[in-house]
Amino acid sequence: MNENRRQILEMLSTGQINADEAERLIAALEKGQPVSAAAEESRPKTNVKYLRVLVDSEETGKDHGPVKVNVRVPIQLLRAGVRLAGLIPARARDKVNEAFHRQGMEFDVNQIKPENLEELVEQLNDLTVDVDADDVDRNGNKVKVRVFCE
Amino acid sequence: MIPLFAKFGFRKEDGVGFRIWFPLFLVWLLLLPIVLLLLPFIFVVWWALQVNPFSALSVCWQALSGLRRTHVEVEHDHRSILIHLV
Repeated sequence: MNENRRQILEMLSTGQINADEAERLIAALEKGQPVSAAAEESRPKTNVKYLRVLVDSEETGKDHGPVKVNVRVPIQLLRAGVRLAGLIPARARDKVNEAFHRQGMEFDVNQIKPENLEELVEQLNDLTVDVDADDVDRNGNKVKVRVFCE
Repeated sequence: MIPLFAKFGFRKEDGVGFRIWFPLFLVWLLLLPIVLLLLPFIFVVWWALQVNPFSALSVCWQALSGLRRTHVEVEHDHRSILIHLV
């Protein structure tokens, strides 16, 4: 079994693709079509609409109860925010950059351009952050944080 | 489309709370004449800051429209607060 075929079967077993997509990919492989192009075709193009942040903390101390946070931010608002950043006057942008630099963050606000916006939003498709931790300082309470797009 | 309604919810430790629907469109209607009166001054300020007033206005509108379907719900120690824009 060659490497590409094994990769497709692994994608199928992990649920990244379904049986039909796997079949298409294998067929494309046999025809000699590049797998990356076929995978791109078979991948459903999803348009993310919201950025979700979920926090679930089971605090059990006598002064604290459980904490639950459920935030849904429309991506449209993020788009507008990026466009808004583009309107910041050049002098103010330099000051913001200086402040970032002082805090040790090498971040250039001038790089936030509406032209890069679609690319930025597209990258959010794959964003998933899962944090599952025991908060040792607070009697071993469990904290779950999920950040994802939907 | 800008948000027209907002749902606010609040609950205390003892379970007492309320949820209300707030007609945001009434706020927009009240603010409209004030914004229209202030618009020339805002345009001048934007102009002075070398910001294109029309694109700034457009972005402000987009930001306002982007607020639609925002949902914030925080619960701590059996107290909770909810804001939902529709």
